[in-house]
Amino acid sequence: MSDRITLTLRAPLTHPLDADAIAPDRLAALDAHEISTLRLWDGRNAVALGDVFTVIGDRSSNVQLEGDLARLHGVGTLMSAGTLEISGSIGHSLGVRMRGGAISVSGSAGDDAGAAMAGGSIAVAGNAGDRAGGALQGASKGMTGGEIVVRGGVGREAGARMRRGILYCASSGVGTGIGMIAGNIIVSGAIGDSVGAGNKRGTIVALGPVRVPRAYAYACTYRPPHLSLMLLSLRARFGLPVDDAHVHGLFKRYSGDLAEIGKGEILEWQATH
Amino acid sequence: MEIRGVQIDDTFAEAFGMRGVRIIITAKNQKWARESASKLTGFATSVIACKCEAAIERELPPSETPDGRPGISVLLFTMDSDSLPKRVIERIGQTVLTCPTTACFDGLPDFPDRIAIGKPLRTFGDGFQGSKMIDGQRYWRLPVMEGEFLIQETFGKAKGVGGGNFLILAESADAALDAAEAAVDAMAGMPGVILPFPGGIVRSGSKVGAKRYKTMIASTNDAFAPTLRAITKTEVPDGVNSVLEIVLDGLDFRSIARAMQAGIDAACRAGVHSITAGNYGGKLGPFHFHLRKIMSGDVEDATKVDAPK
Repeated sequence: MSDRITLTLRAPLTHPLDADAIAPDRLAALDAHEISTLRLWDGRNAVALGDVFTVIGDRSSNVQLEGDLARLHGVGTLMSAGTLEISGSIGHSLGVRMRGGAISVSGSAGDDAGAAMAGGSIAVAGNAGDRAGGALQGASKGMTGGEIVVRGGVGREAGARMRRGILYCASSGVGTGIGMIAGNIIVSGAIGDSVGAGNKRGTIVALGPVRVPRAYAYACTYRPPHLSLMLLSLRARFGLPVDDAHVHGLFKRYSGDLAEIGKGEILEWQATH
Repeated sequence: MEIRGVQIDDTFAEAFGMRGVRIIITAKNQKWARESASKLTGFATSVIACKCEAAIERELPPSETPDGRPGISVLLFTMDSDSLPKRVIERIGQTVLTCPTTACFDGLPDFPDRIAIGKPLRTFGDGFQGSKMIDGQRYWRLPVMEGEFLIQETFGKAKGVGGGNFLILAESADAALDAAEAAVDAMAGMPGVILPFPGGIVRSGSKVGAKRYKTMIASTNDAFAPTLRAITKTEVPDGVNSVLEIVLDGLDFRSIARAMQAGIDAACRAGVHSITAGNYGGKLGPFHFHLRKIMSGDVEDATKVDAPK
């Protein structure tokens, strides 16, 4: 048993590989040989993990991935515990349906990061692709718990059909929070168009510029008490540079989507001079 | 034992198990947190008639509160588990929910026994309320005329200790009050302890039941009433003309013992004859605070009877 398991890519990947076998809670029960024989998938062809990665360590729920991993997809799928540190960037479907544990990425993540996740946390130092924290294709719900913190921007439809949890990012693309059932999206910079379309009870916090859709109605300008709690928690747990002006600031509250039940909201921060 | 010429009697304070919560009230500033906390803890001196005992524990700087605003922590105790949520809900509902700018949080997050407080209060929102999960805790957002009131769904429940006490026997009423005030000042802000009586001081200590009125559950402690010294079985020594009592409730034995240690030490001053404590012979309350042991530095619970963990 070792403190951690380090998987280092032997050579740059030339094909996309499906690596949903790589999750700390699964590796924690395996010795180095067993880890090496786990199967990754190149299309329909199985590849032994040991043929792709050098494996150092065994029987640990702390896993480190090293190398150019942008073509490695599905890492951390259904993960329920442990820590997964990824040096560099990672492919799509990171932490899909994860239930616990913590994933950190020093680079960027591809599409569907944290899609349908139910618990745990994903911290991405760079950017994330489309549908971060959103729903899997055809699914009725996006993330139902946990936290996703992306210090860079995220792509389209971030938090789509989200049910619970927190998604924080520096900017977001078109369709942010589309079909939100509930949950929280906090964007520190610009938000793309069509934000919160079809939102039922979700909260979208705009600390930067936002074009509030016509299906939202202005309610008031006030200090949302839960938001200071949430921002302070994110600052403490993820070391985010949360500004006190945001923690204690005033926000315009827009209720919507009024084409739905109208219990959702967009909270737009108001700079005071 | 004597401290600065004041005798410490060889006796003990007898205390009981209680159930308690720590309520954190935050507000725009300390003034409004205190306004709310003062109302919440009003008329909560003794379970004899107030159904609960509550007081401000200490002021909290923004760095110690969940939402980064100034706050006050309050401890509230009842004699049993069943009545605790009722007392907390009615008091928060009338004194924190109603107070401008406040929010209300659990101050015992690590206590596994939980009672629903925000959950029943949420119905004030009449269906317009919403909830948020933050760090694994649910908070309720209640729309109110001012804006929004935030309250945590559940609060931790502690097995506390109620009825720690000591009596200051002094040469005059002024000397007794000066000593009691010094004791309260010394105990102010000590964690895990409250002094539920006005200014932390009791002038009308009671005995169980009454000699004349059978329906009374408590009546004047005639043994310590100086005016009755000549006509009752008195415990007031020669030269003592006034007695004041300090009553302490706390989250655990040690918190109370440490506070008693600080309070008694501060009370040992000119004009004070002796320090004693109230008990029932040790037959009723499982927690015994032996004055001389405490003043010798031993603040551990030696009784080990139903000691809260």
